[in-house]
Amino acid sequence: MKTTLRSNDLSCPTCVNNIESNLNQTNGISGAKVHFNTGRIEVEHNPETISKEKLVELVRQSGYEAKISQF
Amino acid sequence: MMSFLQKLFGRLANPSKRKKALLIVSGLCITAGWSINLLGNSAGLFNTLMIMSALVAEVEIARRAWQGLKNRHTNIDLLVTIAATGGIAIGVYWEAAAVTTLFLLGGWLEAQTMGKTRNTLRDLISMAPDTALVVENNKLLELPAGEVKEGMLVLIKPGSQIPVDGIVESGTTTVDESAITGEPIPAEKKPGSDVYAGTINQNGSIRVRARNAGSDTTLAKIIRRVEEAQDEKAPTQRFIEQFAQWYTPGIVGLSIASYLFTRDLELALTLLVIGCPGALVISTPISIISGIGNAAKKGILIKGGEYLENAGKVSAVALDKTGTLTLGKPKLTEFICLQREKVGAGIAEVQQSDDEISVVSASDLERQGWPDEVTELLYWAGIAESTSEHPLAGAILSEMPDSLDLPQADYFKSHTGLGIEAAYKDNQILVGNAKFLKQRAVPIAEDFNGELEQLASLGRTTVLVARNGMLIGGIGLADPVRPEAREMVQKLKDSGIEQVAMLTGDRQSTARAVAAETGIMEIHAGILPEEKNDFIRRMKEKGKQVAMIGDGINDAPALATADIGIAMGAAGTDVAIETADIALMSDKLLNIPESLMVSKMTLRNIRQNIVIALITVAALLGGVFMGSIHMAAGMLIHELSVMIVILNGMRLRML
Repeated sequence: MKTTLRSNDLSCPTCVNNIESNLNQTNGISGAKVHFNTGRIEVEHNPETISKEKLVELVRQSGYEAKISQF
Repeated sequence: MMSFLQKLFGRLANPSKRKKALLIVSGLCITAGWSINLLGNSAGLFNTLMIMSALVAEVEIARRAWQGLKNRHTNIDLLVTIAATGGIAIGVYWEAAAVTTLFLLGGWLEAQTMGKTRNTLRDLISMAPDTALVVENNKLLELPAGEVKEGMLVLIKPGSQIPVDGIVESGTTTVDESAITGEPIPAEKKPGSDVYAGTINQNGSIRVRARNAGSDTTLAKIIRRVEEAQDEKAPTQRFIEQFAQWYTPGIVGLSIASYLFTRDLELALTLLVIGCPGALVISTPISIISGIGNAAKKGILIKGGEYLENAGKVSAVALDKTGTLTLGKPKLTEFICLQREKVGAGIAEVQQSDDEISVVSASDLERQGWPDEVTELLYWAGIAESTSEHPLAGAILSEMPDSLDLPQADYFKSHTGLGIEAAYKDNQILVGNAKFLKQRAVPIAEDFNGELEQLASLGRTTVLVARNGMLIGGIGLADPVRPEAREMVQKLKDSGIEQVAMLTGDRQSTARAVAAETGIMEIHAGILPEEKNDFIRRMKEKGKQVAMIGDGINDAPALATADIGIAMGAAGTDVAIETADIALMSDKLLNIPESLMVSKMTLRNIRQNIVIALITVAALLGGVFMGSIHMAAGMLIHELSVMIVILNGMRLRML
């Protein structure tokens, strides 16, 4: 499934790399894309292996706060 | 000390709060250090506080640098970490503290201002209410808006936001549709009207049959479209990001080389500090987010940065006529009446006579009321047209006076390109063009032909009406030019567009009349959609940057061929929202020059930002090598340049 997170915390375009790499190296995530301009983080993941809340936690570990969004 | 701090701040799991707390602590250390330095001369205490400040701020920066290294990329955080650690090692404590604290402060300020810019759209998202009142078996049910199914009946009270897209089933009201169309004047709604989620119901209570809910609504599509547009990288942004990829390692190389050459470690570290291309990488995105976000608020959807850059360079504009320059709905303009003796009301034999022809304008009649000749003309035309689906038939039928009761025709046949023949009781009715009536051997007087030619030269389409082989009159129709068309053309010319051309499949005479009314000098009339396409290709070959403006459906090939395709009245037509480079949600013509203006301003803003960024980098490099800029000042100037670029970009929100 695809989950959209939104972060108001992204301050420079290069910080995107860390979040993307951390997400992409996690089991259960098949693809993650961070859009710096809008602060959208799109994650393609298997909800049985990794929950939406865990995604928020992973972004936190990369140093940025994010919230789950409807669209 | 490091582990103690990590334990302390590890509790602050929320990264936003942690960054703020670290920033405050390191800021306080610096302030305390300088205060002590001013009061007494305790160098030891001053240095301790500065080291503390540097380390506190470095916790966050080093963490991100380490994560980057683990993921095998060098980032700005790594450069700052090396510089600050090196600074402490060589004993420039104040410089190290200033660099790390300023870096954190800059990051925090940037996130704040970027967040403000990103929020332009969040206002739109919050326009859609979370719940809807659904009427089911005469009971009211409150459902989450996204769970309303197609076909459900939704009650919308006065003053509340509309939760779904749908069609009004009962009730009348006015609705503020500015969230969708950017149009500030409320729209009237009655049964059968479309309403959209996110618009505001004003004075009446209505019931709406739901069509789309949640992420399928027009509002959600707009938001998605705008966000994709903002995220799509403009060519300039892609170029700069490529540049940044070798710029940062290049600076690291320069730093190492300069150390080997000069043996000046502080100089090498300072180079690392100013090596972050912060202002440069943010120069394009900030302008594009602001520009596209601002345009969206006005009902102008720009597909992405690339289109924004193209639209900012437009030098020629091609406009479709019908539905773009004109309303696209023909209206009755004149009646050509044949004088006759009045015999009873309505349906009498016409006494044909060559010299009693009069032309009356429909707008005059609206003030004076309809004479019998006109009522009769409309009566017979109406019987024939009531079964037709031709757009001209709609125009004629919509002008029928309410008092006129139209009977059903007994027989009806449509002749494409000519007209309609119909029969009612013992009346044979012909409604169509002059060619059609001539084919049916209806005599048309010389004077009458003269009037037809006169009307044609004004751009009118004429429909003749005959009964039982005798001409009883004619009706002139025209598609009215939109009132703001002339101002729009003038604005295009004022903004430096060299060529404004009208492309239409309609006749030369009609096109010429519309051109005269709008101030367009170049007309290409009677052309097919493929020819519109060819025309645009030729203009491009001549080196023009061409924008084509049309309704998005009939003009689709020409819109696609043009450098920029602008579709009008896109609200409700998904195709236009999806395919056009720029989609105007309302029919407001002035949004055409407005969208080109916003694009031009955004393009200019991007260039300003790039210039600011490059000048700063050059000045910093020069300053460092001349020995007049050290680490603290280098970081300050760098962060200031980033803030200036962001603030400059944010100006676009106020256009």
